[in-house]
This record gives sequence, C-alpha cells and structure tokens, in this order.
Amino acid sequence: MKSFAGVCLLICGLLITTTIGESAVKGNNPVLLPVKNDPTYCFRIWFKVGSQNDPAGMEGLANLTAQMIVDASTQKHKYEQIIDLLYPLAASYEATVSAEMSVVYGRVHRDNLNDYYPLLLEAILSPAFLQEDLDRIKSNTLNYLQNTLRFSSDEELGKAVLYTDIFSGTPYGHIAEGTVEGLNRITLDDVKKFYAAHYTRDNVVIGLAGGFDEALVGRLRADLMRLPAGKPRSVPAPVPAALKGFKVTLVEKDAPATAISMGFPLDVVRGTTDWYALAIANSWFGEHRNSSSHLYQVIRETRGLNYGDYSYIENFPQGGMRSHPPQNVCRRKQIFEIWIRPVPREAGHFALRAALRELKHLVEHGLTKDEFDLTRNFLRKYILHFAPTTMERLGYAMDDRFYGISRGHLTTFRTMLGKLTRADVNAAIKRHLQFGNMQIAIVTGEAAAMGEELLRDAPTPITYKSPKPDNVVAEDREISVFPVKVAAENLRIVPVAEVFK
Amino acid sequence: MKHFVAVIVFLALAHLSGNAAMASQFFPYTAHTHVLPNGLKVIMIPMDSPGLVAYYSVVRTGSRDEVEPGKSGFAHFFEHMMFRGTAKYPGNVYDSIVTSLGASANAFTSDDITAYHLAFAAEDLEKVIDIESDRFRNLLYDLPGFQTEAGAIYGEYRKGVTNPFQVLDEKLRDLAFDEHTYKHTTIGFERDIQAMPEAYEYSRDFFRRFYRPDNVVILIVGDIKPDKTFKLIERYYGGWEKGYTPPLVPAEPPQSAERSTEVTYAGKTLPILDVAYKGEAFDPHNREYVAATLLDDLAFGETSDLYKKLYIQEQRVDALFTSIPANRDMPLFEIAARIKREEDVQPIRDSIYAAVERFQTAPVDAQRLAQLKKRRKYMFLMNLDTPEKVAQRLAYIIAITGGIEAVDALYAEADKVTPDDIMRAAQKYFIPERRTVVTLKGDKQ
Repeated sequence: MKSFAGVCLLICGLLITTTIGESAVKGNNPVLLPVKNDPTYCFRIWFKVGSQNDPAGMEGLANLTAQMIVDASTQKHKYEQIIDLLYPLAASYEATVSAEMSVVYGRVHRDNLNDYYPLLLEAILSPAFLQEDLDRIKSNTLNYLQNTLRFSSDEELGKAVLYTDIFSGTPYGHIAEGTVEGLNRITLDDVKKFYAAHYTRDNVVIGLAGGFDEALVGRLRADLMRLPAGKPRSVPAPVPAALKGFKVTLVEKDAPATAISMGFPLDVVRGTTDWYALAIANSWFGEHRNSSSHLYQVIRETRGLNYGDYSYIENFPQGGMRSHPPQNVCRRKQIFEIWIRPVPREAGHFALRAALRELKHLVEHGLTKDEFDLTRNFLRKYILHFAPTTMERLGYAMDDRFYGISRGHLTTFRTMLGKLTRADVNAAIKRHLQFGNMQIAIVTGEAAAMGEELLRDAPTPITYKSPKPDNVVAEDREISVFPVKVAAENLRIVPVAEVFK
Repeated sequence: MKHFVAVIVFLALAHLSGNAAMASQFFPYTAHTHVLPNGLKVIMIPMDSPGLVAYYSVVRTGSRDEVEPGKSGFAHFFEHMMFRGTAKYPGNVYDSIVTSLGASANAFTSDDITAYHLAFAAEDLEKVIDIESDRFRNLLYDLPGFQTEAGAIYGEYRKGVTNPFQVLDEKLRDLAFDEHTYKHTTIGFERDIQAMPEAYEYSRDFFRRFYRPDNVVILIVGDIKPDKTFKLIERYYGGWEKGYTPPLVPAEPPQSAERSTEVTYAGKTLPILDVAYKGEAFDPHNREYVAATLLDDLAFGETSDLYKKLYIQEQRVDALFTSIPANRDMPLFEIAARIKREEDVQPIRDSIYAAVERFQTAPVDAQRLAQLKKRRKYMFLMNLDTPEKVAQRLAYIIAITGGIEAVDALYAEADKVTPDDIMRAAQKYFIPERRTVVTLKGDKQ
C-alpha cells in the first residue's frame, strides 16, 4: 500500500499548494504552487479577457492581441532578436486564448531565469505592436480558418460549428480565432486599444509554480503593477437560445467520410456537486480517448465504424491532439457534447442514431451498480494522470481560482468520488441530460442526400464485411429505426467555404 | 515561433546515459537492465514519482517490417489487434481491468516500433505485468473480431486523409523509395487497408513471427523497486518462448538522380513543398549522421537566416520545418515549407537549395553551434519530469538499437561536433543525387 500512499501524497500536494495560493491571497492575488525540488519555474499570467470580449465585427481580436504579445516584437527587441535570445535557454512563452481567458505561459530552467524573465516581462509590459507582426499573425490565423480548419480536420471543424451554433448570438458565438471578416477588419489601432483596455493590473492574475522563492513573487508582482490601472466591463454569462427538437447543420464538403458532433447547453460547472456526479456518468458514457467509453464500445469496438466515440461535460478543444483535459479554457457556460469520429458516409445516419439511442438509455435508466462502481474506481486513479507536471498543476490551480474551488478541483473530485452514490449520479443525469433537444453538426459529402434522409427519418439498415453476433444484429435493427425526426426548418446545409466567414 | 522540428524529441535522448559517470552529469536516474534466458530484455529506471509508474512494451517491429506485397499497414493493424484479448482475459475483460486500475493506456506504431504503454499507480504493477505478459504470450481473436477491427483501421485512415501532410507523406515515400519498406507510411496504402479483412491467417503468422521475447523490450520507469520488479517479470514472462524471425527487409538501391513530382490534395490548402534527401540509418558513432541532426536546426530552425527571411521578414511561408529522424535503416531527411503564394514555390525551393549550399561551402558560426548545444542540454533537463516522458523518450532508441546505451554514445558524439563536421554532413547528405522533391497543391482555391 506504500505506493497508494504516494498517490495520495500527490493529491494532497495539490491541496496544500492550492491552499497556500488561496489563503494567502484573494481575488487577483497570485496563485502560487511551490514545488521545492523542481529545477524549473512555471509562469501562467492570466488576463481576464477572452473571445467573449471581442467587439462585434472584430471577432478574433482577443486572440490576435495575445499573439501580438507573445509572438512579436517588443519595444526593446525585434521579434527575430527575441527568438535568438530565447533559443539557447530552451525556453519560450506562448499564449492560450479561449472564450473567457487569455493566459501567457512559459517555463524556464532556474539556471536561465535571469535571461528569461526580462523577456517575458517585456512582452507583457511593452509590446511593440508593429504592422509587420500583425500582418504575419493575421495571415497565419486566416490560413488556419480558411484552409486548415475548413479542410484538413473535419472533426475539429464539426466541433467548432457545433459550439458556434449553440452559442449563436451570444459572446460565445464564434471561435477564439475569430471570423474571416472580423480578422480582415482588425487594424493595429484596434489591437492597441484592446490591449490598453484589458491588459491592466486590475485584470491580471499571476500564476507561479516550481522552485521559486518569495523574492521572485515580489518581483513579479511589482513588475506587473507597472501595467496601467483599469477594470474592464464584465461580460454577462451567455444565455444560449433554448433548443427544441433536433437542429442540424450539415457542412457540405468534398469529404471522404462523415464527422458528427452534437450537444446542448449545460447549466453545470466544475466545483458543484452535480458536476462531479455528471463527471462519473460522462466518464462511463464517453471517457475521452479511452476504450472504457461506452459509446466507443458500441460504435467502434463492436461495429468497427470509426476510430472512436466520446462525450464531454466541459469544453475540450483539440481533442484529437491530447489524451487528458486541457487547462485554462474555463467557461461559465458549458455544453454536453458527443463526438463521433469520422464514419463512412453510408453509416453516418446510423451512427447518429446509435449514439442518441445510447444517450436515451442513459437518461432513462442511469448507471447500473456495476457501471457506477467500475467508473468510480477508474476515476479515482485516472484523474492522477490529469496533472503529472508542475505546469499542469499550476494550470489546474488557476482554473480553481476561476471556478472558486478553494480545495482544488482534483482534490474535490477525489473526495466526491467517495461521497457520491449511484442514486446521486442517476438523479444528476435526470436533472441535466436529455436526448430530445440537440444541436447537431455534421461535416459530410453528399450533404443534400443526407439532409433528405434525416428529414424522412427513414430506416438506415447497416451491413458489415464480417458476420455479427445475433445480439448485435438485433440491436442494429432497433438502431436503424431509432427516431431522429428533424423538421425542415431545423435543417440547414452550409458550404464549407461559408463557415467562420 | 512555431518551428516544428520532429527530431527534437529525439535529440533530447542524446543527453540520456546508461553510464554512471554521465548519469551524474546529465541524467538523474539509474537504469537497471536484465535479460531473461528467452531473450526478453527489461530496463527499469526508478525515479521520484510518488506512486506513479510508466510501463512500455517495446516491440522492435514497425511498418519497416511489412515486407510482403499488399501488407502495408499491418504492424499498425496488429497494434489494434493486441487489444482483442486472450482466453484468460478476453478483450472486454482486459479493458475492464485497465479501467478498474484507472490506468492511462494506449499504443502507437511507426517505422521501426510498435509500443504499448500504460501509466498507473505503483500498487498495480503486478496486475499490469500479468495482463501485459498474458496478451503478448497468448493473444487470441476470432475472424469476426479481426474484421471488425479492420473497419476501425479504415476509420483511422479516413480521419487522417483530410490532412494534407498525410497525403504528401504517402506520395513522397512512394516516390523516394524503390525497394525498401519505408516506401509506405505506417498507416499503409489505402488499397492494402481495404484488403485487411481478408488477411486473418497472415495476422496470426505476424504474431508468431514478431511478438517474441527476443524482439521485445520491457521498459519500466517510476516508483519501482528493481529487484522486486524483476522477479515479477521473470515469473510472468519467463515461460514465453523465443523464436523471433527477422524479416528480410529489402535494401534500397542507390539513387542516381533527383526525383520530383506534384500531388493534388482534395481540398483547400496553401501549397506545401517538401525537399527530402536520402539520409542514413541511426548510428551514434557516425559523426556525419550526428552532425546532420544539428545541421537541421542550424540551417532551417527558427534562428536560421532562411527562417527569418521567409517566415518573419518576407512572410512568404507560414511554416518551415525539418525532420532528421532516427531510423534503423536509411530514412528521408526532410525540409518542408507551407507557402503562401503558389508562384513562390520554385523561388523558395531555390532558397532552400541556396541555404544548403552555404552550409556546404562555409563552416557555421561556432557560437551558434555552442548555443544549440546549450539549448539541447536544457531541453533535456526540462523534459524528463514524469515517468511517462522519460519512457516515451527512451522507447524509440530502444526500438532502434535494442537498449539505451546508444544514447550515451550519441550524446558524447554530438558534444564533439565541430563546424567542419556540420559542413561535411551538408556535403554528404544534401546533394541532388539523394533528393526527392514533392509539391502538394489543393484542388480548391
């Protein structure tokens, strides 16, 4: 049992360090995570601004501004010089921008702190905002929207369309990278004004982890106090339009397969009891990139229709690129989301039905005792993999500040796994999940034909290259006629060139 | 600052060491290596990682070993089949055990390796050794299960084929190689993936040939006690019968002239230019090979003149990246650029050639070389902070060489590289007779 004690130590470490951050300081004060033996320093400098703050018609401004800080010249150094200076340090600083957060982050070995720190500070305090840098960053972002996202990853495209559809008309209604028209409209002056309004000393939270000492904390605080004062106006949490029935967006493209994402708004955020109850249900139903996912078992493992099938109760960007949840993408409003990786076009409708049928079963019957016990035991250890590094742990500590989780999310998660009963979980499912009102994004070829099929709700029998057991065949018969009735006014077909326009 | 250098992960290896003296200077962990009578090697590296362990089963077989016509992609396919279970632990039971352990488990395949990895709580070590040894020794699956998995593979192919870099890589390898199995990608040719459901018998033979103890290395990193761990390894793997039969991988005949082609991508993309040179198999004692692994960063990395000119000053590319991989046989050394305007493809190709020529005719600035060596040192120091990261970095070199000793040799050699060595590497590898150039363009603009 010694090693299990070690596991507990790691978790308790999270508790202690988060408590230090929370008890010593409140509000915008630093989040500190000392790790004595770590030879590196981790920085996460969080500005309380995100794509929700983009002015109408300038979608993408928050992201461009952050990139102009971390990926461009400062008043002291040209961009090329910064690259040269960082190079031998094997260090960099980057930024992540989501709906509500912009975080400048970086990590450096203690030997190189004195060379690194001034560069990081310069970037945040005195960006140069040169036209040539804006041109480069804007061009790269436009290429991402117009080529990469529209054409090279149908899965990410489907998820982006799903989010923009659900939050259409709200400050969450566009992806952080923005829109083509928005980006084209943004000038250098817009970036400067946005920076001046949002990158203020009243709007920043310092995150520091690793082998730092008090002197560095003091130095960083004093240096960031050089930012101008100013509290930007807060943006109310988005209120997405209520969904009624199935609403489908078919993104028409010359695609070799069909990628499906679907979901609905969820009024539950991390830190609440129901979130942890739903996390257990969701883990059983669709744990990310894990064969324990029930959807994965039904669609991939039993039927071989695709590469994987998962579900989420929190935003999980770039799911194809990561195994565990990201940090610093916090939101006050989440969605429940199902991700069906590309299936053959002819199996698209069937896979959609299969997933909805499983969701219906979950909503109506909840988890069995065995499913609940297995998932709870799985999560007890699995969440250890969510933050093995100091940088990730700091990320979670910052997120705890966002959600106001004083004991720390992963610690609370573990505690709740001990407390929650199957009845709690099944009650939370009943309260928050449903299967009849759903936004659906489908990236596919032959969109018109697929739209016709959806409108008719006609049976979609399926055949395989290999024989299937009788129980699967019988289940397939039920799936093939599972009702997914879409009204004509709730179905639209969008050419891929029109998305994110 | 997004200069993607695939080789960087590998370069970090250069600083690892199985040598005690070197370990004290660069690598904070000591490796304990044993070989069972059946040929199975186990490498154990204890590290301070409270309660966490990373467990890698490294099969020294990858898409390189797919020598039979029509069987490209099979090593990767087989990686999937390894999750289908045994008589003792059928696939769903294996899955539920892994789930009950809360393990983070997965597998991957590339040219020279198939690796199965789990990260888990140290108290579960014996259970992991039990289930892993069982599937390596007793894998059992039926025809329908095999054919169902073939569908998942095709799904994986479909997922990737929308990525223009996959399309480009498929074409580049096919053109550059005549005989060697690096001709195909790891996922395989689409026609071969379509035919996979018919290859059940072949798959059983594949298992018998390659999944043998004398072709596998077990790497365990983290909160472990080597003596106790090794006893468990002996108990669970000791009865595994040796019998690895190396495949006859055809040698690649010498290339005599440059090759080039264009490929069309079904979608919209900026043009991508890939200039590839036949390189050399991994050899940590080969000064020119080791110098080439540094040359790539000096000539095309983010501090290079070419990168600054094309990416920052003229903004004619939105990405410039290189790959000098470590392979068992001769791989391609690649320089690729994503170019903003189609009319710039040829001029940028010429700029790449000119950059190569500069490195062939004049020694690199010694200070830049020193800075690169410093960078590598800190990249190493900063990226060995979890058992998984350590194991992941070691897995490739184990697959290529069978152990971790080469890491020490590589580091020692890299430290000796001089500006003249860099010049010689440029002169040896980056010549037209070794070159294949592929340009990818989208069909929708």
